[in-house]
Amino acid sequence: MLTRKGKYGLKALVYLAYLQPGQFNLVGDIAAKNNIPKKFLDAILGELRNAGFVQSRKGKVGGYRLARPAREIMVGHVVRVLDGPLAPIACASRTRYERCEDCDETTCQVRHLMFEVRQAVADVLDNRSLAEMRDIVGDDELAAIIKYQN
Amino acid sequence: MSAGNSIVVIGGGASGVILAAQLLRSSDPSLRVTLIEKQSEFGQGFAYSTNLPVHLLNVSALGMSALDDDREHFWRWLKGRNLLPDEPGPFYAPRSLYGEYLRELLDEIAAQEPVRLRLVNAEAVTLTPASAGVEVGLANGVSIIARKAVLAAGHDRGPAAGQDHARRIELEPPGDPSSTVMILGTGLSMADAWLTLQHRGHQGNVIALSRRGRMPMPHRPSKPITLDSAEIPLGTELSYFMRWFRGLVDASKEAGGDWRDVIDGLRPFNQKIWQNWPEGAKRRFLEHTKAWWDIHRHRMPPTVHQQVSAAVATGQLTLVAGRLLKVSGEDGSHVVDVQRRHSRCIEKFRVARIYDCTGIVRDVSKGSIRIVRSLIDQGFARPDPLRIGLNVTTNCAVIDANGQTSDRLYAVGPLTRGTFFEIDAVPDIRTQCAWLARQIAA
Repeated sequence: MLTRKGKYGLKALVYLAYLQPGQFNLVGDIAAKNNIPKKFLDAILGELRNAGFVQSRKGKVGGYRLARPAREIMVGHVVRVLDGPLAPIACASRTRYERCEDCDETTCQVRHLMFEVRQAVADVLDNRSLAEMRDIVGDDELAAIIKYQN
Repeated sequence: MSAGNSIVVIGGGASGVILAAQLLRSSDPSLRVTLIEKQSEFGQGFAYSTNLPVHLLNVSALGMSALDDDREHFWRWLKGRNLLPDEPGPFYAPRSLYGEYLRELLDEIAAQEPVRLRLVNAEAVTLTPASAGVEVGLANGVSIIARKAVLAAGHDRGPAAGQDHARRIELEPPGDPSSTVMILGTGLSMADAWLTLQHRGHQGNVIALSRRGRMPMPHRPSKPITLDSAEIPLGTELSYFMRWFRGLVDASKEAGGDWRDVIDGLRPFNQKIWQNWPEGAKRRFLEHTKAWWDIHRHRMPPTVHQQVSAAVATGQLTLVAGRLLKVSGEDGSHVVDVQRRHSRCIEKFRVARIYDCTGIVRDVSKGSIRIVRSLIDQGFARPDPLRIGLNVTTNCAVIDANGQTSDRLYAVGPLTRGTFFEIDAVPDIRTQCAWLARQIAA
């Protein structure tokens, strides 16, 4: 399930997707506008930079910006980096698999259903870009956000 | 042939034959398939035209069926001819047998489909859009009209750009058996060239040169790990992906497995991983990682690996890591200047012949396939951003110079490498062909 880290990361990226392409934004600003603790956001943006979703620049006019156009960054790809495999329960993950002590996994109906859930989650998240996520809100909300930014 | 669905397939090698077979699975009585091949034999293509029994398939017989929905087809073909060995385990069949298999498959279909399949032995040189279809111009002046065309031109047989001194070994008569010769490349084709030299009774030294000087790993029985795309980092930078990949290999080894289990487990997702990478990651992969990936991913049959390794051990074959700087001629022999890897000094090798085994990935617009160059020159097609193939959609439709997706021109196989990346081997090509056939011959 989406952790707080995943949620904050997505909020920060969508916020960056509103900005003029190429414009850097200070972590402090991103954190303040989105109600994210700055220290936590520092760590999150560091991870997103390592994965190649954002770029950073040091200094007074520094900060973060998207490394690629928002329509090329898929939400599911970001979530995998921040939260790991898209697996609703640990026994449905093959790379971060944890065995349940209390059930037989070959016959566990919960596990089988969760495989299906995971597929459905991936189908949604891997087919939505940051740009689409940004555009989910209507023009009025958008105007409010832009006003809020300035 | 204006009525119904007429499809012309350009190239009658492995991918062309596999595609024709898939197209004719359609029950549409009005379907017409024309297969054009410039070589005298259909079904041979680049990889399977060798007649040396020492040239083996690099994929075991159970992985080589031409038919996507009948995975044991080739294996049964071998069994039916008593060509399978008695001992159990993976069997790497001679490649010439595979050419024969494809030819028989095509003969069988041709006999069953006297109306719907037409075989044309000629070189296709031009392709132009015509009203509601395409017109394919042949070298003999004839042209063929069809609703749709699929390029299945396969691998380029021409010499690599800038390697004017290098020749393809299969096109060269044997030289002095005691001379020293050089092979450019240390991959699977190098092993083939070395085997060809052995077969010809070559006694002299053989020097194989590549940037890293590493040759492919051998196949071993592997237990591919089960992965799901929900667990694979997609769309990240290359370094991030490689860290994940190495971690998975380490975890697999710790659990008593082998790196092959991870490479093979990842295979079903390779195209998806490639397609989701940003262009920078693709570029870096080709530049830095592909050589390493290839020696692990495209492995040799164990017997071939043993033979080649033995030659390295005795010194008959020397693997050199370095860069070819220049080639100069002297009294019928070549002097090759090589800069060794991680070294500034230049070493000179005097060799009688230079054989080109530099691999199959090269700039498509500078290649020797006439129809591909013609399409690019006229703007009906363009190279992909990395210039390793034609720019095609994930639906195999060709994209023209203006970025327009064609509704009648498609490509399959190695030409689509820029979009599908791993599309050189039969297991990948047959899946692609089956998919495209369902789209255009429904």
